[in-house]
Amino acid sequence: MSAERRPASFYWLAAFFALFVLFLYGPVITIVTLSFQGPEGGLTFPMRGFSTYWFSKLWEGIGVVDIGAALRRSAALGVVVMLLTVVFSVLAGLGLRQRFRGSGILFYVAIASLIVPSIVVSLGIALEFRIVDDSIKAFGDAYEVGWIQSSYTTIMGLFTSGLGAHLTWTLPFGLLIMIAVFNRLNPAYEEAARDLGASPWQTFRFVILPIITPPLIGVAMFGFTLSWDELARSSQAIGAYNTLPMELRGLTTTVTTPAIYALGTVTTGISFAVILSAMALTWLIRRRRARHGSDAGKGMV
Amino acid sequence: MRAIQDFFSRTLAYWQAAPMALVFGFFFLLPLAATAMVSFWEYTEYSIEPAFVLTNYSDAFDGCISSLPDLCTTFRTYLSTLFFCGGTWLLTLIIGFTVAWFLAFHVRTMTMQIVLFTLCTIPFWTSNVIRMISWIPLLGRNGLMNQLLLSLGIVSQPQEWLLYSDFSVLLAFVHLYTFFMVVPIFNSMMRIDRALIEAAYDAGASGWQTLWNVVVPLTKPGITIGSIFVITIVMGDFVTIGIMGGQQIASVGKVIQTEISFLQFPAAAANAVILLISVLLIIVGLTRLVDIRKEL
Amino acid sequence: MSADNTKGSGKNSGGYSRRTILRGSAIFAGFAATAAVRGFPAVKAADATTLRYLGTAVNQSADIAKKVKEDLGITIEYVPVTTDEVTKRIITQPNSFDIVDSEYFSLKNLIPSGNLMGMDAKKIKYADKITSVFTTGTVNGKTIGDQGTAPKKVFYLEGQYSKKFASSPTEWITLIPTTYNADTLGIRPDLIKRPIEHWSELLNPEFKGKASILNIPSIGIMDAAMAIESAGIHKYADKGNMTKEEIDLTIKTLIEAKKAGQFRAFWSDFNESVNLMASGETVIQSMWSPAVTAVRSKGIPCTFQPLKEGYRAWASGFGLPKTLEGKKLDAAYDFVNWFLSGWAGAYLNRQGYYSAVLETAKEFMQPYEWAYWMEGKPAEQDIHAPDGSLLEKAGAVRDGGSYDTRMGAIACWNAVMDENAYMVRKWNEFIAA
Repeated sequence: MSAERRPASFYWLAAFFALFVLFLYGPVITIVTLSFQGPEGGLTFPMRGFSTYWFSKLWEGIGVVDIGAALRRSAALGVVVMLLTVVFSVLAGLGLRQRFRGSGILFYVAIASLIVPSIVVSLGIALEFRIVDDSIKAFGDAYEVGWIQSSYTTIMGLFTSGLGAHLTWTLPFGLLIMIAVFNRLNPAYEEAARDLGASPWQTFRFVILPIITPPLIGVAMFGFTLSWDELARSSQAIGAYNTLPMELRGLTTTVTTPAIYALGTVTTGISFAVILSAMALTWLIRRRRARHGSDAGKGMV
Repeated sequence: MRAIQDFFSRTLAYWQAAPMALVFGFFFLLPLAATAMVSFWEYTEYSIEPAFVLTNYSDAFDGCISSLPDLCTTFRTYLSTLFFCGGTWLLTLIIGFTVAWFLAFHVRTMTMQIVLFTLCTIPFWTSNVIRMISWIPLLGRNGLMNQLLLSLGIVSQPQEWLLYSDFSVLLAFVHLYTFFMVVPIFNSMMRIDRALIEAAYDAGASGWQTLWNVVVPLTKPGITIGSIFVITIVMGDFVTIGIMGGQQIASVGKVIQTEISFLQFPAAAANAVILLISVLLIIVGLTRLVDIRKEL
Repeated sequence: MSADNTKGSGKNSGGYSRRTILRGSAIFAGFAATAAVRGFPAVKAADATTLRYLGTAVNQSADIAKKVKEDLGITIEYVPVTTDEVTKRIITQPNSFDIVDSEYFSLKNLIPSGNLMGMDAKKIKYADKITSVFTTGTVNGKTIGDQGTAPKKVFYLEGQYSKKFASSPTEWITLIPTTYNADTLGIRPDLIKRPIEHWSELLNPEFKGKASILNIPSIGIMDAAMAIESAGIHKYADKGNMTKEEIDLTIKTLIEAKKAGQFRAFWSDFNESVNLMASGETVIQSMWSPAVTAVRSKGIPCTFQPLKEGYRAWASGFGLPKTLEGKKLDAAYDFVNWFLSGWAGAYLNRQGYYSAVLETAKEFMQPYEWAYWMEGKPAEQDIHAPDGSLLEKAGAVRDGGSYDTRMGAIACWNAVMDENAYMVRKWNEFIAA
């Protein structure tokens, strides 16, 4: 595929790809366009004037601070979910290279975790944590543990039940990708490293890790994005304080002005900025690596 | 010392798999066990009683035998869900494969590949909650699509089938999940030794022959993993079908959700168990065809 | 990319979503009170003067939270969720809130769970001033329709922790009313171009492909029953508590209409109903009063059409979790008392809802406002929403007339039926048809 001239199929495929991207952007284009509705405008076409009225509404009355709180909660949860997804997926992926007793079960459990409708998982977790709460309270009463009796309410929360709920959603994706990666990993590299006297940790750190870094970035992005937009699994399991999608969900049932689109436009803009800076960062790292002359991981996104 | 080391290296795989196993055990299996247990409980209008009854299951299949050859609600619902599942799978596979093909074989630098990938993920960073609303102004009676079609003179009347129809449901699914297909297929394609393709060309194979006899077999793992993603997600979906079908199209997830919101947990649990079993059967069927774990 | 976020459609959506503040800003501002990042489980003692207020975004106005803070020093932390989430959270996470705003008809499901406690009428200052719609089911001495779960049937408990509703007044109140109203059909007069007087028009083939009903089974089936009864097909003994045969008949009629292409879409929350109507996807559908106002405020003609057969009413109110105690419990009672004392009532009335204690709310409203909203008189001046935006110009009259006319014409209440499980199954059949 190193021909100098592009074959004709390239242009057909490029056009197809462009159409696909256009299709992906359809809703976003609609959202951005409609966020510039005139003050009289509604959530649907036609446009009634063109203004930045709804952005100013969003800014002044809509209390950016509070959406901000939900946004921070979601971002914090997303990052934790992302990190744990990466670490656990890599570990499990390494482990599953061998068939051990129970490895098949783990694999099917992961698949099942994708299948079971999220609301059912969420409900199950909620019921489970209620039992835990009740047990802790009973324990507190039985042994007269003061602080439990006086101030314990629940251990449900963003980073207990909420985190668990999100992990049941992101880990299957991470695991499947990592299994695919490790299945393709040529064992010769590791053997060579071992023959050269590398410890298992060194082998992992200096041989395996560089090779799997690009797909790991994919797992990380999957993990964050899935958590960031997750709604159904959070619904019963998140504790008292809402994540961003839940807060938005609560709002969309009641907000009927383009302010909601303005919010969509703003969040998309922020995401855009975040991704651009992340890309700039990767590019820098890549350049640094290029200078060091390593080609590990090339072609393995 | 030696013994300890031996023990660790022998059981290393277990230690590595442990964190994930624990998460699934505590946050998935236990809740699921609770669900399975509750599916045998009795419920009245206002309360749930521990028991062991099969009524929740028999209710789910109520009239399925007696009303033959007409389909009962449950069969009809599953048929509708399977239809969307199959349709979405086929469309995302074709589109996803083509897109992955373009990205893997026609985009030359990795930087460009990353740029294009990112371009495709950006739309998903707008909250799905808000994106869902925007389909109405896009596809509705007075929406962008209809205005475009009218002004181009392609149609003379606003087209109603664009929204709240099978079409719109499939469209939304393809929109949401094609990327779940692109990523794994692309991964597989990137691992194909380019020399193989050149060899095929050199041996006189046409583009299609190369595609069919070399690339498709080698991307089978990617296709399988993408298919698992898409099939499982669509089978459990109720939001997309609900919104894009104008709440007029049934789905298994929707039935469960309705029952949960009416606090009929045992009935919902029974339906969830039935759904889980049927989807697992599909997956087991797939693994009979190919050993997924090996092929991944 | 979550596959299944909850497109709210629990039975509760009915009441909650409608109680909507007309301007988005006010709702967004509601989050002013939400605290900063609070992810970690609440194992430490929470501040006694902070109340976690579970409900939908509609009543959770920042103005109310701000005013409470000023008047009582109590911090309100809003936890906005969709309507069916409220019920589910009461059942599954009763430790996650200190006060809840829930709908009366779901009480039949909530009270048996034992997660809520009866509120002590002695501690509610205005308990005896709560409108007779709730306590005795009357307006101005006239008995109103009580089909379905009328609030008077579930207003009192036999004891504080009793799981039984009392048939006569006791000192234990299940929910203290926050808002209530009556629903009817909303129409687009510009697209229909003729008077609409009966519920039966909902199933009139003239509006094929342009009608909609609620996809909240318990409420949607009552709208259908109103239409069926109005068309003279069947007379129900209690539309809010049908027999199996009646459910079969109602669903059969709905399935025929669906197969004939009568419905454009079903809707399940406030925002969907407004969108369908404003975009012209539908021209006739069951609707809530503030939703009609929301359509109209975009310059699109829309009427909240009073019908001969009367209204389907709903009501919601504050409940307390059984585990609430000590300072938090006192704060919750203080907050409820404050809520009934007028300022909040006036605020809600100005949005088109009705408040629990009318006389206190009246003191906080201008005479011309009271005349427009409550007495059904033409507006002497322009009518503004609480956030200052213009709702109606001078001279306008409220659809449905005065409080007495509207509430007096109630035919039935949102309900949970005895045959609930069967009804839900049949409803699923209807959706799958």
